[in-house]
Formats: sequence, C-alpha cells, structure tokens
Amino acid sequence: MSLRKLPNYLRTHRKRLGLSQDQAAFLLGVSSSAKISRYESFTRVPNLETALALEAIYQKPVSELFAGLYEEVQRKVAGRTRTLMREEPGGTDGPQTDHHRVAPLTIIPQQNLNDKN
Amino acid sequence: MTKIDTERSRILAIAPTTRGFGFAVLEDGAILVNWGIRSAEGDKNKQSVAKVKQLITQYQPSLFVLQDMKTSFRRSRVRNLSQKLIGVAAANKVKVAFISLEQVRLGLLTDGRGTKDAVAEALVKKFPQELTPRLPKKRNRPWISEQYNMGIFDALALAVTYHSFLGHKPFPRRP
Repeated sequence: MSLRKLPNYLRTHRKRLGLSQDQAAFLLGVSSSAKISRYESFTRVPNLETALALEAIYQKPVSELFAGLYEEVQRKVAGRTRTLMREEPGGTDGPQTDHHRVAPLTIIPQQNLNDKN
Repeated sequence: MTKIDTERSRILAIAPTTRGFGFAVLEDGAILVNWGIRSAEGDKNKQSVAKVKQLITQYQPSLFVLQDMKTSFRRSRVRNLSQKLIGVAAANKVKVAFISLEQVRLGLLTDGRGTKDAVAEALVKKFPQELTPRLPKKRNRPWISEQYNMGIFDALALAVTYHSFLGHKPFPRRP
C-alpha cells in the first residue's frame, strides 16, 4: 500500500518562512494562535476564505498546502466519475464527444480513475 | 535491512539529547515536513516516549529511524529510551531502522570524515531555507556545551542518511 500524503503541510511552510504561530495568526486576522495550531495538527479544516489567505501568505497553491485533503477529494471525484460513466448510456466504451462527459475525465489523473479505493 | 516503499516514504527520525530529543520528519527524501526539539523534564524517558507517540500519531511515518546504539557510547538512560521507542514503533506497526554515526559521516561527508558541525553544514546546504536559522554556532572552546539545536541536525542526519543509502544492501561501512 502506498503512503498517503498528510492532510496539510501548513506547519512545513510556516516554519520554512520562519513565522511563529502568533505571526501567522496575525496575518490571517485571527485573534489567537490556537486556530493555527488546530489547522496544523489536522484537528480542524479551515474555511475557503482562510485557505485562500493561507495560499496568499505561504505563496503556495491550496492544493499543495492541503495535499492530502486534495488527494482525498480527487479520489472521491474519481469514484463518482466512474459511477457516472457506468450510468451513462454506452458506458465507458460510448462516444466521448459530449463535452459534459469528457470534462470530468480530463481533470482527474488516470491513476485515480484506476484506483478502486 | 528494513525495506520501505521507495516511491513515497515518510521517515520519522529521533535523536535523544540530554534535555529530551530532536526530531525530523522527512518525506520522499526531499521534503522536510517538520523538525524541532521536544524537551523533557523529570522522568525524561517517560515524557519523551509520550511525545514520540504524539509525533507517530500525527505523521503516520512509514519508517522510524534511530541511532544504532551497538556502535555508540551513549548513556544508559538513552539506551533505555531507544529500547522503549522500538517498542512504541512496534506497537504502532512502524518499521524501525538503525543508522550509526559512521554511516552518517559516510553518507553526508565527501571523504566520510568530519565533525558534527560538518554534518550540520552539509544538511544546511541540502535544506537551506529550513535549517539556516537553526544552525548551531561552532564551539570554539571544548568546555562549551553543545547547543540544543544540534538535536535537530542529529535526527535529520539519520533520516537523510537512511534515504541516501536506499538500494544499498547492506549499508556501506568503513573498511
């Protein structure tokens, strides 16, 4: 079994920049560093606005900051894509000309489509 | 030799110190995920074990790297701690690997010879952004104590050495 990515790499990027949790909290506009600690220890997932603020602070895309979470979401979408392909008339062998059918397949890495999990 | 998934690995390396332990989490040999010192007071081994358990729970490592105590002259408390940590790793189903200081020097220094300061400098070259602020000053007097930051470099040296020797079986030893 291959090792999965950690839910997020916020602590890695914060420490690379030499920021303390208090400084990161200030940049995020939150009153205490406890929230930063919870994000970094994977006990809490930030909302979209906070995630985008983290992207702006650490200068890394959200998908990279939350690599494990991103992988998990990709797997789920891939699973639903497989279901959609099975439910579509013609299945996986059907014509791939419909834009709405091709689009989800092109955004999911092939390995995730093949992954049975 | 313990075999691990070479495509994606997460190594947790622990280096016990007089005040606790230094740790490093290395992913795929190139990403330094976390690094630092955890201090312990009173029953140092008990506290250290609890803190290592937290790190294992958080980072779910594929491998746990410790210093090889067979070839070192560490005190009995540190040897006991090492034994306890092996038990913790086994309880969490994490494989354990042992790296000697000789292997660290062979892995990180060009001629296989040098001090801990030289090893630390080699690591700073590999991870400049992360480690430059933590590089301990060289001791210019023999009676000056080692800076506690050195624990981070000791731990990371174990992890990097393990990763750099992947595929070499058995690990190289000085002739």
